[in-house]
Amino acid sequence: MSKLGRRATLLLATASLASGVAVAQSANSPNAAPPPPPPPVASQPVQPAPDMQAVLTAVQSLGLKPIEQLSPLRARLQPTAADGARTVMRNKGMSTAPDPDVTTRDLPYGSDPMQFARIYKPTAAQAGAKLPVVVYYHGGGWVIADVNVYDATPRLMAKQLNAIVVSVEYRHAPEFKFPAQHEDAATAYRWTLANAASWGGDTRKLALAGESAGGNLAVATAIYARDNKLAQPLAILSVYPIANSDMNLPSKQDSFNAKPLNTPMLKWFGHYYSKSPADMQDPRLNLVRANLRGLPPVTIVNAQIDPLRSDGETLAAALRSAGVSVEQRTFPGVTHEFFGLGKVVRGAYDAENYAIGRVKTAFAR
Amino acid sequence: MTKLFILAPFALLATPAAAQVMDPTEYVTTAGASDLYERTSSQVVLETTTDPRVRSFAQMMIEHHTKSTADVKAAAAKARVPAPEPTLNPLQDELVSELRTEQGAARDAAYIAQQKESHQQALNVQKAYAAEGTAPPLKAAARKIVPVVQSHITMLMKM
Repeated sequence: MSKLGRRATLLLATASLASGVAVAQSANSPNAAPPPPPPPVASQPVQPAPDMQAVLTAVQSLGLKPIEQLSPLRARLQPTAADGARTVMRNKGMSTAPDPDVTTRDLPYGSDPMQFARIYKPTAAQAGAKLPVVVYYHGGGWVIADVNVYDATPRLMAKQLNAIVVSVEYRHAPEFKFPAQHEDAATAYRWTLANAASWGGDTRKLALAGESAGGNLAVATAIYARDNKLAQPLAILSVYPIANSDMNLPSKQDSFNAKPLNTPMLKWFGHYYSKSPADMQDPRLNLVRANLRGLPPVTIVNAQIDPLRSDGETLAAALRSAGVSVEQRTFPGVTHEFFGLGKVVRGAYDAENYAIGRVKTAFAR
Repeated sequence: MTKLFILAPFALLATPAAAQVMDPTEYVTTAGASDLYERTSSQVVLETTTDPRVRSFAQMMIEHHTKSTADVKAAAAKARVPAPEPTLNPLQDELVSELRTEQGAARDAAYIAQQKESHQQALNVQKAYAAEGTAPPLKAAARKIVPVVQSHITMLMKM
């Protein structure tokens, strides 16, 4: 073993011990075992509003198991908040079919089967009309969920903004680890700029949006666009983004045991998407330490009962310090995954109106 | 001393338990439920659809997912793994109820949306077992099912 190699080995061992947690990253397999759980925290989160709780109860009734104890494969088979919301809607006699006012088509932007995008377009769009364009990234911690699970927000944005929404699928971890998702997000952004006109889009009116892991990608892609001198969006909508790798933030304590996202799940996602502990300090993941200067106006939406709430709040502070125009709102009585549930959750309806309204204002300028 | 430094990181990397591949029984049950859901939901949409594309896709799903259940059952027998009569899980049960609640074009649209999601999940299950499954006959069956599911996903991308 070379001197350099030995030194690197020693550094790795030291770094692993210093971080104080089991840092072994997973294999690149959807069967890879979950990490050991973090020490339990007794504090219980506040009770969600009754309409939010009804969705969470419905997800449980569909057989949800604790994600943080599962392999990625089993986690990908679990019912989602969207499944719970449709169950509530059906029980209320509401239709659960996709809104026919918006049509979709799937187009590849790369050679991997996961490198495709779902293009949402208002059915009533007039032939020849040039619509604004939103590039949207779904959530799921870069490990679970896909464009199918996150249908509500892009569909609603297409309708309410009379815009083309490009919902980007990307390669998932642990099969493909960080920064594969950030690379795919950037590739899909470039591809949208090159092709939107052929779909009836006008990229002079462009926004970036995303939820959770996708909320991170929306901001990270805006940074990429700035650094690579690409066309910049007029607005960024980042809904409960992953933005701060500090595991001691207030929300990661007070919402440690929250549903449907808890702090052990954040650790679980990191175990699968990172290649090394150093990845967590990369400014693309730890956005609060990124160079945020010169970004377009940002809207950040958070839920009160969510371990990622402090990520959004600290990202808003970091953006403000960097001179970026930013508005951040935390909606009470709701949890992670509430956004897009506006048909059955009042807080979600309010948040959707607020957030989409902000993008509409940016397009109108 | 040098040896210790070399070994230490391996010890740390080995911390998580070995892979949690589905055991043969869980694979057979999961694949069987997934096929049953495909056939049931396709039958429901065939009751009402007037769209020839939806009709021919649903008919193909019934045919292909009948075959994959038979193939997995035969492989299970070879592997001496029980293959009980498949049942829908609570989520699949809910999805079928949602389809039954819709009529006409809304049912077609709900069916296509469900198919897109369920085929991604089926692909995940088959790929994971094809790669690391422990019962060779079932692993071979999964390997043959993967390209079939992939071809369904390719068709669904155009719907």
